[in-house]
Amino acid sequence: MQKIHIAIILMSFLVMSAFGGALSPGDRVNDFRLKDYNGKVHALSAYKDKAAIVIIFVSTRCPVSNAYNKRMEALYEEYSAKNVAFLGINSNRKEPPAEIRQHAQKHGLKFTILKDDNNVIADQFGATVTPEVFVLSKDLTVLYHGRIDDSQRPANVKRRDLRKTLDEILSGKELTHPETKAFGCSIKRIRR
Amino acid sequence: MRKQILLFPMMFLLLIGCRTPSPLVVKPIDEQQFQQLVQQRAGKILVVNIWATWCAPCREEFPELVRLADFYHSKSVEFVGISVDFPDEISAKILPFLKANHANFANYVKAVSDDEEFINIINRKWSGALPATAVYDMEGKQRYFKFGKINPAVLKKQIDALL
Repeated sequence: MQKIHIAIILMSFLVMSAFGGALSPGDRVNDFRLKDYNGKVHALSAYKDKAAIVIIFVSTRCPVSNAYNKRMEALYEEYSAKNVAFLGINSNRKEPPAEIRQHAQKHGLKFTILKDDNNVIADQFGATVTPEVFVLSKDLTVLYHGRIDDSQRPANVKRRDLRKTLDEILSGKELTHPETKAFGCSIKRIRR
Repeated sequence: MRKQILLFPMMFLLLIGCRTPSPLVVKPIDEQQFQQLVQQRAGKILVVNIWATWCAPCREEFPELVRLADFYHSKSVEFVGISVDFPDEISAKILPFLKANHANFANYVKAVSDDEEFINIINRKWSGALPATAVYDMEGKQRYFKFGKINPAVLKKQIDALL
């Protein structure tokens, strides 16, 4: 019986991985601890006093993620002043902390970027693409999952989904679009 | 004898002509045109690869798709590539890549009003992570979908099962 349970759990995980079955609004996130690119440990639960926690899976090498560097930093600058936490997570196997540090310095990314060794947290979230956003409430429930906005090219943007989501959260409104999608680079996982 | 001498080179040229790929073109495709492409099967299986010039694994797997398209050239299988670069990047980015990789199948660039809707049309459970490959049967029903680099042997097995 126990073997059947393990098999069902394993199969569910494989199906989730194959189809990118990420955490959805309403799902709870387990607390985790990760080191930033300077080696400092951050616990997710340490941000529980914030109005919301924005988690963005990012990459140093993905042109789509890089197309959003300025927009991510601008959102961080604006919304961290409104008690919103921003955490970048890099889960790509070939992007080590030194490269993440150098990349952040080069592109002026001041928000915390954590290194997710062995893509453990990407697996926990079911994150598959960069950039990919999860906005959590202070009790670590997913409020929003999806994209930053609807175009890699700033001039083509029609929907600023993350900005709108944060404004709605901060004003206590129901979210208009709690789930969105965009094309991006696949997260390069370790081979298990 | 003289006629035969003339006939052989003519037949050779005809054969070469049949195998010479038509000039590479990249046409824009919107949501409706994509759905028409899937539905208008005319007795052929459809293999769709969604890729971008900025996507490293897409570039890496492309030669495998060209090899598979060549392998199934005379069979009832249609290969199609859809780039998610921008339509104004056809000349500068898409065509040079396709030429360099000897693309031997029809190619499009997405020209959709909403990326999210297009992603959901292709596969509702897909996040939009590239590359992605879908196989449709002769009735236009999706029978296989994978995001991430293809395993050519697995893709071949999926195609063969539908032939």
